[in-house]
Amino acid sequence: MAAQDLQRREIVRALGIALIASHCPGFAKWAYARAHPEATVAPVSQFVPQFFAPAEYSLVERLTDLVIPRDDTPGALEAGVAEFVDFMVAHDREQQYAFRTGLTWLNAHAHRAHGKPFLELNEAQQVALLEPLAYRAQYRQGEEEGQEFFRRIRELTVMGFYTSEIGFRELDNPALQLYGKSPACPHPDDPEHRHLPAPKW
Amino acid sequence: MIRKTYDVIVIGTGAGGGTAIRALCEAGLEVCALNAGRRLDPNKDYRHHRRPWEMKFRAFGDPAKRAESYGYMDNEYVEGVWEHEIPFTAAPGTEWMWPRCFAVGGKTNFWGRSSARFGDIDFKARSLTGQGVDWPLTYAEIAPYYSRIERMIGVSSTVQNRPSNPDGEYLPAFNFRCLDHILQKGAEKLGVPYLPDRIAQLTQSVEGHPPCHFCGACTTGCDTGSFFSTPWRHLPRAEATKKLDLRTDALAKNILTDSRGMAIGVAYIDRRANREREVYGRAVVVAASCIESARIMLNSKSRRWPDGIANSSGQLGRNLCDHLYGESANGHLPQLRGQPSFPDSVGDNTIAWLPRWQNLKDPHEEKFVGGYSVYPGGGCTEYPWYAVQTEGFGSAYKREVKRRYPSGVSFTIQAPSLPLSTNFMDLDPQVKDKYGIPVARMHFQWDENVLRMWEHSKEVCADVIRAAGGVYEGCAKAPNIPGWSLHETGTCRMGDDPQSFVTNRFGQTHDVPNLYVCDASVFPSSTDKTTTLSIMAFTLRTCDRIVENFRDGVHRRV
Repeated sequence: MAAQDLQRREIVRALGIALIASHCPGFAKWAYARAHPEATVAPVSQFVPQFFAPAEYSLVERLTDLVIPRDDTPGALEAGVAEFVDFMVAHDREQQYAFRTGLTWLNAHAHRAHGKPFLELNEAQQVALLEPLAYRAQYRQGEEEGQEFFRRIRELTVMGFYTSEIGFRELDNPALQLYGKSPACPHPDDPEHRHLPAPKW
Repeated sequence: MIRKTYDVIVIGTGAGGGTAIRALCEAGLEVCALNAGRRLDPNKDYRHHRRPWEMKFRAFGDPAKRAESYGYMDNEYVEGVWEHEIPFTAAPGTEWMWPRCFAVGGKTNFWGRSSARFGDIDFKARSLTGQGVDWPLTYAEIAPYYSRIERMIGVSSTVQNRPSNPDGEYLPAFNFRCLDHILQKGAEKLGVPYLPDRIAQLTQSVEGHPPCHFCGACTTGCDTGSFFSTPWRHLPRAEATKKLDLRTDALAKNILTDSRGMAIGVAYIDRRANREREVYGRAVVVAASCIESARIMLNSKSRRWPDGIANSSGQLGRNLCDHLYGESANGHLPQLRGQPSFPDSVGDNTIAWLPRWQNLKDPHEEKFVGGYSVYPGGGCTEYPWYAVQTEGFGSAYKREVKRRYPSGVSFTIQAPSLPLSTNFMDLDPQVKDKYGIPVARMHFQWDENVLRMWEHSKEVCADVIRAAGGVYEGCAKAPNIPGWSLHETGTCRMGDDPQSFVTNRFGQTHDVPNLYVCDASVFPSSTDKTTTLSIMAFTLRTCDRIVENFRDGVHRRV
């Protein structure tokens, strides 16, 4: 999805939503987490990736976890985002090659730096490898393929997380609820909003 | 077999057709309506109120269907609703993005609901700008029809006392959100108006339909009929008269004529049976939307009308205008960072607007003629679209997304192109649709004037964000591709001179007195306002004319 198209579509998405009446194949962990709101992570054995090989999938899952970690609120693991990534890539021939080679590139990159595959590095090492792929100011020549791969997996992670129930809760998303009257700004005496309470987050 | 003949055949059931159907049926005429697509089932096809995690692709749509999901509205929420079978082509050098809904009700099922009246500033286009033509009527003539349609459909707004945007008969307005108050203060400093939009969305019950429940899912249909659409509001009333025969999956092919060239009926494709059928009437109303109406008329060739029916002026398909849309500015309001979320998207982009403020005192005060309007939006949207643009990962990223959530703002321009001889549609000499009907071929470029408006809006909107204490962050690299707005006008423009205009001031074709046009194709030029409300007001006026003509014997009742 071209960035502009994606953004355009997402803006329009934000204008309203109607959803397909369908089951959501492959979303075992998500379904599990939904049925058990207190549960954190469902057993991995419940989910069989449609596109990624098991080793690839573990790496995808770890990357989604690094992009949106659990901290004081649940993150991508709890929201089953890796399943969404697998599902989308399985349905997107245009992305498949880039994902497969991107995962290979990342492991080779980890090997070059530390002599180990990515998943065997500690968190600080993993983050240190990803940062030059994530921030334009830290981009390094010769790592374009890694930057492109990280852009793709980060995009799908963000899409998957903020469209999950956990993602809605994360933002306290007020959309798609019913209101008895036209919601009004709660600060009528402060039109410029210069005197709001301290930020909640 | 006795040939059934109707008083009026109406092609199309959207804003124009649906309004015509209701007005004509309520006047006691026997109406046959042809609709190119199927009837939607609100329970099945309106999939709103569902959460993204309840759908396969989280509403992003199946990536494999990217190529066939043409356009921005044609997506997973409304899969199977938008039209894919009837193509169109773009001439070399033309880009045209054109999602079409052929379901009963047409685009009123999913429209943007902004409903401002046109004013004399719009009708005197030629006198004020030197471009195009003046319209063959004044605001005073059309104002009563605006009032009639507003009372029927329910429009929420405020009285604003701006002659360039005449006030109507309004329900209470939607409340401003935090971001509206902040941006309004900024706009005030620059002398730019920031006001409640006119929105065909109910804040009070109208015609038995409950007020809006503010779910924010309007763009994919309403399950309570709380914003205006013809399937909820006009068509049931027309059907209650027992005067309506509505044929669905009936794709109008051409208008049938007698030896004198008068309209006697319509040939259409029964898409379910995959065969051609005919239906006969004493008068025909074409209301298939600007370009489809012109396509049907151009395809209605006969010995009497070798260049298409009612085209002795040669203007059929010409004078095509469109609204330029695009994100003129975006940014965020630091005042709202980290504040609790607020339901900002309940009325989408139509809660507030910046109605045309340019070239009002003097028609030549700017570097462009005419003027444009702007729609602000932002805040807590259903999907945090800025999240992908926000750099980084990890807890810091997650926190930034959360803090920013209520604070984003953006401005979308709505600017009219000028009627130029180089912007038009005709029939593609080679390409036919699957039923063998020649398709529309688009010839269209943004003109310099509208591109100057685009540049102007980028500066002003950035200034509004800054004046409001916000942070300006950018704008779209280019305006949207033509066609995007679905606000085409001009292909059957109205005017008094039969040699220069397709229809007269009543939307009746000059050449064929029993052929009428009820959609935006009759508008001689585009304005800074949306088309739907005016299509309906002009349609009521045309229908008064049709009813009079039946009463006076110009058309004979069946």
